[in-house]
Amino acid sequence: MPLQTPEDGRLLPPYRVLDLSGPEAVFCGKLLADYGADVVRIEPPGGDPSRARGPFAGDEEGPDRSLYFLFYNTNKRSITLDLESDRGCELFRRLVAQSDVVVESYSVGHMDSIGLGYEALKAINPGIVMASVTPFGQTGPWKDYKSNDLIALAASGFMQITGEPDGPPMRQGNDQSHFAGAQFAAASILGALYYRDFNDGEGQYIDVSLQEALITYYTDAHPALAHMMLGENVTRVGATSTLVIPLGAYPSADGWISAGIITPREWDNLSEWIYEVTGNEEVLNEAYKGGNQDRAPYNDIITALVIDFTTRYTSEYLFHEGQRRNLVFIPVNTVSDLLADPQLDASNFWFGIDHPETGTLQYPQGVFDSEEVSPATNPAPTLGQHNEAIYASELGLTSSELDELREDGAI
Amino acid sequence: MNKKALQGVRILELGPYVALPLTGRILASLGAEVIKVETNKVLDEMAFIPAWSRGAGQPDFQRAKKRVSIDVRTPGGLEVFRELVKVSDVFMTNFRRNILDRWGVDFPALRELRPDIILMWQTGLGGIGPYYTYKSYGILVQHMGGVSLMTGDEGEPPSAINTSYSDYHTGVFQPSAIIGALMRRRMTGEPATMESSIFKSGAVTAGPAILDYQVNGRLPQRIANRSTATAPHGAYQCQGIDRWCAIAVENEEQWEGFKRAIGNPDWCDEPDFSTAESRLANQDRLDALIGEWTATLTADEAMTRLQAEGVPASIVSQGDDLYASEHLKARDFYRPTPSYIAERGTPAWEWEHRDSIAWNTPAKLSETPMEFGNYSNVGEDNDYVFREILGMPDSQIESLKEDGSLY
Repeated sequence: MPLQTPEDGRLLPPYRVLDLSGPEAVFCGKLLADYGADVVRIEPPGGDPSRARGPFAGDEEGPDRSLYFLFYNTNKRSITLDLESDRGCELFRRLVAQSDVVVESYSVGHMDSIGLGYEALKAINPGIVMASVTPFGQTGPWKDYKSNDLIALAASGFMQITGEPDGPPMRQGNDQSHFAGAQFAAASILGALYYRDFNDGEGQYIDVSLQEALITYYTDAHPALAHMMLGENVTRVGATSTLVIPLGAYPSADGWISAGIITPREWDNLSEWIYEVTGNEEVLNEAYKGGNQDRAPYNDIITALVIDFTTRYTSEYLFHEGQRRNLVFIPVNTVSDLLADPQLDASNFWFGIDHPETGTLQYPQGVFDSEEVSPATNPAPTLGQHNEAIYASELGLTSSELDELREDGAI
Repeated sequence: MNKKALQGVRILELGPYVALPLTGRILASLGAEVIKVETNKVLDEMAFIPAWSRGAGQPDFQRAKKRVSIDVRTPGGLEVFRELVKVSDVFMTNFRRNILDRWGVDFPALRELRPDIILMWQTGLGGIGPYYTYKSYGILVQHMGGVSLMTGDEGEPPSAINTSYSDYHTGVFQPSAIIGALMRRRMTGEPATMESSIFKSGAVTAGPAILDYQVNGRLPQRIANRSTATAPHGAYQCQGIDRWCAIAVENEEQWEGFKRAIGNPDWCDEPDFSTAESRLANQDRLDALIGEWTATLTADEAMTRLQAEGVPASIVSQGDDLYASEHLKARDFYRPTPSYIAERGTPAWEWEHRDSIAWNTPAKLSETPMEFGNYSNVGEDNDYVFREILGMPDSQIESLKEDGSLY
C-alpha cells in the first residue's frame, strides 16, 4: 500500500493497526491512535471483555458505558469479528493484507493455533509488523505462566519497592502495569515501520515481555545490580526517606504534601521558615544543618518538627510559597486536583471528547505539547461501529455477504 | 552487522538524570546514532545514585550512545556544539530554557543553524504556564500525577514508590514521539517542536479514574492489593524474611485450580467461599486462611504449585531472584557490561574500570534487534565525533582541549 502522509495536525501517518490486545497492550493502540494511526479494535461479536470492566458511567453496566474502555480506546475504530470461526479468520487475513501492524497479547502460541501466527501473516503481507505483548515474553520457562496486573507488578519486583518497610509489598494503583509493555511496543512498532518505509526494510515480528518492561521502569533502583554488588535486596522505604531528611510525603492541613530538602541551602531556608511559623528554636539547632544525609541521625525529631509545620497550611499554599523561598514542596494530587490544575490547563493536556453515553469529558491526552501536532479527539467506538465502513467500503464485501457473515456469527 | 531500524538518524542529547538518557538509549538501541553531550566539569548526579553504585548503574541509561565531553558554556565548546546541531536530525534536552538561552543554545538559535531539526524539550512541570519557572525533583513530581493516592491502604500515608515512575513514562513516551516526528518530516519536510513533562506523563496514567470523577463524582479508593471484583487477590507471606507470593484469582476456573493447588482443604467448600461474591464478602477470613497455607511454603513453591494449576501467581521478585532468574537468563535480559567508578573532580578517562550488568531490552525485534551496543565512558567517543563526523583538524581539537572547551 502506498504510504500516506499524516493528516493535518497529526504526528503519524494513518497506518492501519489491527488491535487484538488485552490489558498488556491496550495502551499501545491508544497511543498510536491518538497520534494519527488508524487503529481498528477487533472485537468478538459479544464485545471485548474490557467493555465489561468498571467503572461504568452512572455505575450502570453496558457495552458502551465502561470508562475503562472509553479511556483506553480513544480514536480507535471497532469491528466485530469471530476469530474462533474459520470465516472470521479468513476475514482477518484479508484485513491483514491491507494493514501495517497487528498488536496482540494472547497467551503464547494462541495466534499460531488459529493459523494467524507471524509466519502466516507474513506470507499474506511481507510488510506486516506484528507485536506480541505478553506477561513473560514468547520464550523462556515462565512463558506460559498466567498473569494480570497484580502478578505482573509482583513478578517484575515493582511491588517489592512499593509500600511501608514493615508492611506487605504494595501494588501501584490504577493498573500501572498497562503502560510499560505498551509503551515499549509502541516505540518498537514505530521503529519497525520507520525501517520498513524509510530504510528499505520489510516487516518484522516484535516480542515484548511485560515483566522485563516493568523492570526497566524502576531502573534507578538497580535491583539485580544491588544484589550482585552488595549482596542486598532493594526494598520498601515507605512514604518518607530515612536517609534524606526531609524527603517524602507529609500531612498538610487539607491532604498530603511532598517535600524534598536536598541542598544545605534548602535546609537553611526551610528551618528559618519553620521557626518563623512555629517559634520553635529547636529547628535552628546547628547539628541539623548540612547536606541531604546529615540529618539522618535526627530523623524522628526533625520529622515531628516538619509535620508540626506542614499541618498548619494547605498543600497549595506550601507548593507556591515554597517556590518563592526556593524550596520544593509538591502537592500529592488526586484526580480532582489534576482537573483543576492551572498548569495542565495551560499546556494542551486536556482534550474534550464527546461520547454518546457520557457527553463531553476532559481526557488526559496531551503526552506532549506541540504547535505542529496534537492528538485526535474521537471517542472510543461503540461495539461494531465501523463494521459497514470497513467490511463494505474498505474490504468490498457486498451487503448479502455481510448479512451471511452476520447470520453465521462470524461478525 | 545487524540491520538498524533508525539507520541514518542522528540525535543530539543534552541533559542528565533518568527520562532523557533513557529515551536516548532506546533510540540508540533502535539504531539511531545518539551523541550525548556532557562535561566532566558537571557530572550527572545519577552516577552517584544510589550512593553505592558510583557509576555502576550508568550503563543502564547510557549504553549504545556516542559520548562526547564538551563544555557548552565555553565559547569554543559552544562552537563545536553548534556544528553538531547542523548535522543532527533531532535535538533533545531537559534543561530549562533560561539556561539554554544563557548558553546560546535555545531553540530559536538552533533552528537558524538547522531549520528542519526536530526538538524534544523535556520539562519537569511544564515549559509554559504558571509553573514554568518552578524548581522540582522527579521523585516528588510523581506525587502530582494522582497515582500515589491510588496506591496503598486507605487511611495510611500515600505509598511511596522507591523510584520515580513518571520519569519512566516520559522516557519511553519520547522515543515514539520522536520517531513519529522523523516520519512526518520525511513525508512533509516539516520539523516539529515537542514539549513533554514528567508531571503530564504521570497524569496520563490516571486515565479511567479521571473519567470516573467527572462522570460519577467519585475519587479513587485505595484498596491495597485487593480487587473490587474478585478474591483472593493479594500478597501472602511465605517462609523466609520478607518473602511474599502474589495470588490473583479472577474466575471460577482459576478458583477450582486454586483449590487443587492447596490440596482441597475443607474450608474451600464452605458457603463463605463457594461463589465469587461470597469470596469477595469474606476476603479477610479467606486471606487469613491462605496465609496459613503460604506460611508453610517458600514463595517459589507457592508460585510453582499455583501456576501448575493455571492460577495467576508470582513471587514478589527481589533483586537476587531477578539476578538468578532462569527465565530472564533464557531471555538474555541482563548482560555483563563495563562501568567506571565515578569521581568528582577527575576526568572520566582516569576512572577505574569495574564490572557491572545492564538490562538488554524488553522488546525483541526479529529483523532489526534492539542493540545492546557498546558502553562508552564520558568523552570516550570524542575522537570519532570530532574527527569523523565534524572533520575537525587535530590542531583545533588540541587547542580546544587546552582551553577547557572539550573536557
